[in-house]
Amino acid sequence: MQLTYLEAIRQGIWEEMDRDPTVFCLGEDIGIYGGAFKVTDGFIDRFGAERVIDTPIAESAIVGAAFGASLTGMRPVAEFQFMDFIGCAFNQISNMVAKTHYLWGAPAPLVLRGPSGGYVHGGPFHSQNPEMWFVHNPGLKVICPATPYDAKGLIKAAIRDNNPCIFFEHKYLYRRIKGEVPAEDYVVPIGKANIAREGRDLSIITYAAMVHTALEAAEILKNDGIDLEILDLRTVSPLDREAIAQTVKKTNKVIILHEHSRTGGLAGEIAAIINEEAFDDLDGPVVRIAGLDSPVPFSPPQEHHYLPKVEDVVREARRLKAY
Amino acid sequence: MGIRKAKSKPTSNGNRPRNGASSSKAKPNATNLRTYSIPDYRLEHPNFTVRQRIEKDRLGHEHVRYEVEGDLNAPVPPIRDSKYLDKKQCIEIYRWMLLNRKMEVALENLYKQGKVVGGVYFGLGQEACSCASAYALDEDDWFAPMIRNQGSLLVRGFAASDTMMQYMAKADSPTKGRDGTSHFGDIERRNMVSPISMLGDLIPVMAGVALGARLQGRNLAVMTYIGDGGQSTGVTYEGINFAAVQNLGLVLFVESNLWAYSTPSELQYRCKDLAERAIGYGIPGVIVDGTDACQVYDAAHEAVDRAHRGEGPTLIEAKMMRMKGHAIHDAASYVPKPMFEFWKKRDPIARFENYLVREKKWLTAKENEELIASVETEIEAERETAVNSPMPTPESAEGGVYCEDGCHEIKPKYGAPKVKKGTSTFKQTEAAVHLR
Repeated sequence: MQLTYLEAIRQGIWEEMDRDPTVFCLGEDIGIYGGAFKVTDGFIDRFGAERVIDTPIAESAIVGAAFGASLTGMRPVAEFQFMDFIGCAFNQISNMVAKTHYLWGAPAPLVLRGPSGGYVHGGPFHSQNPEMWFVHNPGLKVICPATPYDAKGLIKAAIRDNNPCIFFEHKYLYRRIKGEVPAEDYVVPIGKANIAREGRDLSIITYAAMVHTALEAAEILKNDGIDLEILDLRTVSPLDREAIAQTVKKTNKVIILHEHSRTGGLAGEIAAIINEEAFDDLDGPVVRIAGLDSPVPFSPPQEHHYLPKVEDVVREARRLKAY
Repeated sequence: MGIRKAKSKPTSNGNRPRNGASSSKAKPNATNLRTYSIPDYRLEHPNFTVRQRIEKDRLGHEHVRYEVEGDLNAPVPPIRDSKYLDKKQCIEIYRWMLLNRKMEVALENLYKQGKVVGGVYFGLGQEACSCASAYALDEDDWFAPMIRNQGSLLVRGFAASDTMMQYMAKADSPTKGRDGTSHFGDIERRNMVSPISMLGDLIPVMAGVALGARLQGRNLAVMTYIGDGGQSTGVTYEGINFAAVQNLGLVLFVESNLWAYSTPSELQYRCKDLAERAIGYGIPGVIVDGTDACQVYDAAHEAVDRAHRGEGPTLIEAKMMRMKGHAIHDAASYVPKPMFEFWKKRDPIARFENYLVREKKWLTAKENEELIASVETEIEAERETAVNSPMPTPESAEGGVYCEDGCHEIKPKYGAPKVKKGTSTFKQTEAAVHLR
């Protein structure tokens, strides 16, 4: 069945709620309205107001309540209307939820999910990719799918996981991409990367919307005789160190591509992993393509300038190939 | 006196139907009359003001100090007879309070012997609030202490050695050395959520515990505490409001102990009593003398009953004073001395002892002495256990960050939620959306 990225997530949560009575949703405007992006559209009719809870606009309370319910053996799925607002609940996530299993042995099987990312002119408070705030928090799993198949398989895996999972949905992809999603039940394992395109010459390590940017660039570069390999991380914490090392060992040249700001971004961490795992295999410098070190600006020309583009990948790939 | 009954008086939000509240017995009310009564169990109403004043020292240098104004010579009121507690229960609570205090004396001594890692936090003067509140919970109810509620832990069945080992960062401590103080929990047997150092975050968490239990068909009471300092945090508002809107059985003790580290309550909030905050949440608020175990228990008992009936949260303000500094390093020299003298006369244990031994004659002097001796013996044995626990190995810092390899089985604690499903099936959505 061909599903959009959004429908795949929607179907994944729906099926988990159908399958497991301990799964419930809470968040702002997720009930009768069905959520700002309609991920939970129709859920309240099917599962009732007890399991599809419209909350006050209070992100710390949403996360706190989800965590508390998880301590009684429930599997809450909490929606952030935009992932930018996850900052409002940062303390609850970082100091309460993430540390709980390590400190006092209480598992917290909850999912915090919502739309992130730019390319839709959402402005500085509706375009961010705040995944790195949580990659630096041991105890959390951070998931950023790029395709409908992975989105559905990973949201199901996140709901079934015994750890707190933060699930970043890319809002640019919600209705722009469609993909084949099997009718039968499946999960995609958390922490496993996927080769989105096999190639010989150069590796792009990326995830989420940037996978599609890299795929477009690959088509252009094919005409130059440059064969890109694209590694879709799918999960950014924990990182699939083995897959990162393997692709570097295969192509010997690597570009790391992400949407969020360059400084302190995921590329730095991946470059360090490459140093540790595959330094001798490198035939060129590790290249970073990332968002600017600024907030995400609103006006389309400015936002376009801020965000990584296909032409950036094409340019950097040609440069690195020639190195 | 007593907490408003939903039957006879409307809530201030007009008894709207509760979203997802399966067991609320609140009935729609014909009137929009607002009731803002705050029941006050106290038998005295201390009225002080703390303010900053410039003082000159002998050399003429100016210093800013706190001074207190008000009637500091008022006689100590009697203990208010409990509506619910019998003789045996009063003596049990008294014993928990003694155990609470003697444990903290032992901790102070362990600190002086250099056996404690970091500081020690005390609940001196707050033992009635910690112990009598937790005593009102049923076994299945949940609680989460704050740093000064070490007595609540004892009442809920943790050993004094658990807390002692936490302070000494021992391998056998409940967190195996990974955290100290009362920062530990137990979701299996004692239904305790571990506090964190950041204030207020436990309130929505406890609301969530009640929500999870309600989805499993149980109306539980979930008790936690916040200070007059901690209640300034935004998450306190978020948590109480969430519990109020969802009609969850939160029993929140606001411990007005007058000092938040070194900052007096005058610099934390403007209203007369923090119980008034309840009005804004549309929930019952009540004031008790936090040094009177009977008042604390009665208010807690009524709030717990409301929670069990599915009638929602209660805010209980307990007024008392923190009788030591913030932690052991802090001599609390910023507190005007007359305040210590006033509250020292209202020592919760001395007051309760007087009530049980001299007023009620429920304990003879000899029985009281024996009880105190038995507590001391128990604490000494606990101290011995705690001291003899080894320090953790360095390598034990590793692992356990994630729940993996089957370390926990997640299952609903109170049984599978009974779910009703609508007739609709999955259909793709066509709705208009934000930011296409």
